[in-house]
Amino acid sequence: MTESKKFSRIIYHILVCGFGFVMVYPLLWMVMSSFKETNTIFTTAGQLIPEKFVLDNYITGWKGFGKVGFGTFFKNSFFISVVATIGTVLSSSLVAYGFARTKFPGRRILFVAMLLSMMLPAQVLMIPQYLWYQKLGWVGTYLPLIVPYYFATQGFFVYLIMNFIDGIPRELDEAAKIDGCSFYGTFGRIIFPLIVPALITSSIFSFMWRWDDFLSALLYVNESIKYPVSLALKLFCDPGSSSDYGAMFAMATLSVLPAIVIFICLQRYLVEGISTSGLKG
Amino acid sequence: MKRKLALLLALVLTVMSLAACGSSKTESASDATAPTETQGAAGGNGDSKHLIVAWWGNQTRNERTQAVLDLYSQQNPGITFDGQFVEWNDYWNKLATASAGHSLPDVVQMDYRYLEQYVSNGLLIDLKPYIENGTLDVSGIDESILESGSVDGGIYAISLGVNAPALLYNKTLLDEHGIEIKDNMTMDEFIDKCREIYEKTGYKTNVAYGNGDNFIEYMLRSSGKILFEEGKLGVDSAEELKPFFDIYEIGMKEGWHVDPGIFVERNISVEQEPIVYGSSPETMSWCAFYWSNQLTAVQNAAPEGMEIGITTWPADNPKAANYLRPSQFFSVTVDSKNPEEAVKFLNFFINSVEANNILLGERGVPPVASVAEAITPQLSDQEKLVIDYINNVVTPNSSPINPPAPDSAVEIFDLIDKLEERLCYGEITAAEAAQELFEQGSKIMAGN
Amino acid sequence: MKSKSLSLKQILNEESVAGAIFTLPFIIGFLLFMIVPMLISLYYSFCDYNILSPPVWAGFKNYIKMFTEDSTFLKSIGVTFYFAFVSVPLRLIFALIVAMILFRTTKMTGFYRAAYYLPSIIGGSVAVSILWKRMFAIDGVFNKLLGYIGLNKDFSWLGNKDTAIWVLIVLAVWQFGSSMLIFLASLKQIPTTLYEAAEVDGANKWSQFWKITLPLLTPTIFFNLVMQMINGFLAFTQSYIITQGKPMNSTLFYTVYMYQQSFEFYNTGYGAALAWVMLAIIALITFVLFATKKFWVYDEGV
Repeated sequence: MTESKKFSRIIYHILVCGFGFVMVYPLLWMVMSSFKETNTIFTTAGQLIPEKFVLDNYITGWKGFGKVGFGTFFKNSFFISVVATIGTVLSSSLVAYGFARTKFPGRRILFVAMLLSMMLPAQVLMIPQYLWYQKLGWVGTYLPLIVPYYFATQGFFVYLIMNFIDGIPRELDEAAKIDGCSFYGTFGRIIFPLIVPALITSSIFSFMWRWDDFLSALLYVNESIKYPVSLALKLFCDPGSSSDYGAMFAMATLSVLPAIVIFICLQRYLVEGISTSGLKG
Repeated sequence: MKRKLALLLALVLTVMSLAACGSSKTESASDATAPTETQGAAGGNGDSKHLIVAWWGNQTRNERTQAVLDLYSQQNPGITFDGQFVEWNDYWNKLATASAGHSLPDVVQMDYRYLEQYVSNGLLIDLKPYIENGTLDVSGIDESILESGSVDGGIYAISLGVNAPALLYNKTLLDEHGIEIKDNMTMDEFIDKCREIYEKTGYKTNVAYGNGDNFIEYMLRSSGKILFEEGKLGVDSAEELKPFFDIYEIGMKEGWHVDPGIFVERNISVEQEPIVYGSSPETMSWCAFYWSNQLTAVQNAAPEGMEIGITTWPADNPKAANYLRPSQFFSVTVDSKNPEEAVKFLNFFINSVEANNILLGERGVPPVASVAEAITPQLSDQEKLVIDYINNVVTPNSSPINPPAPDSAVEIFDLIDKLEERLCYGEITAAEAAQELFEQGSKIMAGN
Repeated sequence: MKSKSLSLKQILNEESVAGAIFTLPFIIGFLLFMIVPMLISLYYSFCDYNILSPPVWAGFKNYIKMFTEDSTFLKSIGVTFYFAFVSVPLRLIFALIVAMILFRTTKMTGFYRAAYYLPSIIGGSVAVSILWKRMFAIDGVFNKLLGYIGLNKDFSWLGNKDTAIWVLIVLAVWQFGSSMLIFLASLKQIPTTLYEAAEVDGANKWSQFWKITLPLLTPTIFFNLVMQMINGFLAFTQSYIITQGKPMNSTLFYTVYMYQQSFEFYNTGYGAALAWVMLAIIALITFVLFATKKFWVYDEGV
């Protein structure tokens, strides 16, 4: 019994590891390339391990552009991503609760509007949005990259959290109501703690998407000292002249790190303490 | 119900006014561009003047250009700069969006391909008044180069580097096999070379694949035609476009043209151009249809021991086909609050030896002869080779550049690439490609 | 005084008032940041507009052109449907399987999850475009692997118009992390007591999965399906950064075509019209999905 259990566990780890390697191989290639000399990246693309490890790409890459180093770009990205993520998660959870647990006139229309707003390609809204933010005097600042997220403008998160609230039995709400809890109290004391996994998931996504967001940074950020990483990464390539792929890979590698760290820190909340009690029973 | 309707109406009106706000602003903005009014505009902005300069490019260019901006603000207290640089595709996207909101940077790097569009939509200021009042000194610039920045009699862009079409080739490879390349090859000579090289070395040829727009114009020039005329194509029949597609048909049939599939696997960049990159001669090209200022980039990307040579693109009538092309224009936009200061900076940008000692011809050979001379000693061997190529090979044997391409050009260029692709994949013949380009192209030009 | 504040409290606790207050952020956000740009783009779709100069009203011209003389439009719709309908189910199945596997907690779980999630983190940067092309190049890793098992290894996956789309589909499936994470989070929501009860009844793991896990996951599967469908139809990055529609428009996503029209050819009005047609298509598909909901999605009995 224990023998076969042990055996199956080993098989499990081998399979998961093996397949995991296939999953991360392309990234491994990128990381390894970042340690190659920049002009040998393509000529030695077939081999994974560099003939000799060099850090030059990290040094030239970190130097950044003009007078602005990559440290600044990272700081900017952090600021934008963290602040926007807080807004997204807070506002989306409020709205999700409203959609999931209350009935009010116009609720359906509002919900449909939310879905519809997700169906228009972002690229087509670029110009109208630009004109609108310009009217508000926000062009050249971080405001267009942050403020909208405090108003639950990403239907994805609202719908995601809503889905989780739907999974919580209504009996809990009713019990809270009998105990004298208002809607606000129920949300704060009962629902909010129970949707933590959904909030964690949302935070991870939101952080990552804000970090990667390139289009709005391109349009609304003007000064190079305010560039986020996503924008700066593209500056290593110039189709008409020389591109520094080594430096680009080096900085791309670094730019993945924050998201990984955040993921590893937060993901344990998705593991620990499998649901406390028979919520759904 | 009525209230809802009123609300909707109000909303629609807001939207319309917002969407149309561009139009009302254009007029006021273009008024402000007249030199007489600039003083008021400049004064209204306080003592320190802030200029935004935008360009595309890589790390080297960003660094050097930023250094020039710093130098200028050092020498001219009260002027501060904000240098905006993004990658080529993003640059045009950002610029177009900013133009919709009338918030273009003061000074923008311009490309010949987009010049006409930006001028005809009234987004750039005419520099002629500034040249006349001496703010912008263009005395050192050759008349034909200056002319290339003009549209309908006004001068809208100043070139920061001169460029010419250049066939870059793998000199080491050809030397090894005793194959010689001479300047001003005819089309037939070129095709014979392609065959010979393929036979002797196994290396194939990339005839400007995916970038045929310049080459087709070059070929038309050779026969005294141009691609674009006002509202129509410059050719009278599909027959005149056919020779261009014939090359691909022959090349694919005889096997010396590189397989089109390899381009999907690569990024559009010098580093992955078949002349320098490929796993076997099968996937490599002995030459690249490029521009003279790309020689350094190609040489840097080439594997060790590969020397890159430079010659003209093939043409039956080299004098008619060849031309000097201003690369990397700079323009001042109508949205600039300080056009006067912007022009002054432009003047410094092109005329200052000190500034160009920092830039070192990274954008091409400086158009002001004395500046070009002054920086020559500091240039690398390849850069000297380029200057020599421009001055001694192209300049004496060329004719003026075609007028800037019209609005719909990009769509036609895309069409050319698509037809080239279908031809190389064997879906259509050269005659069919020419026919379709003629028909579709005429339709696009007519404004459909 | 006291009675007044009490009544205010009561008003606030009216279900409809509370609902409006909770959804207020979205209402404001929608009115402030979304509705106006959306309507402007709708207006553009009825205009001749080239960004650089102001739009001019053109009626239904753009829409008529789309359906009467634009063969690329049809081609890109075909490509997009193929991509969405193949990649989305694959991605979801894959995500669900991996989530089930990684739900087991061992010391390594955190590490494994990170590894499987990594591809999604890197997103759609230039780096991805280069490395993905490298993987599927003629002399790339994928062909080498095929070579090891004795298959033809000189095939250009990206250069062939029948296989290029699959390279993009594989990329989309490779980045399955977000769906996986959502599955993981909702697996956690399933109470362990259910499994304990099932075990007492003698159900094995396999029937536990079919009888407990899957039914309780259907709301999440539905959510993922709807979201991924929308994303699938709006997919842009994969095509834009890797193939740009090549070869021969066989990988030309609808949004990429729209982008080309809007920002490369400066037919921005036409691009806007394309976008609104896409909205109609997606809305229809979403509607159909919602209509099927009651047949297969587990309801809490509300």
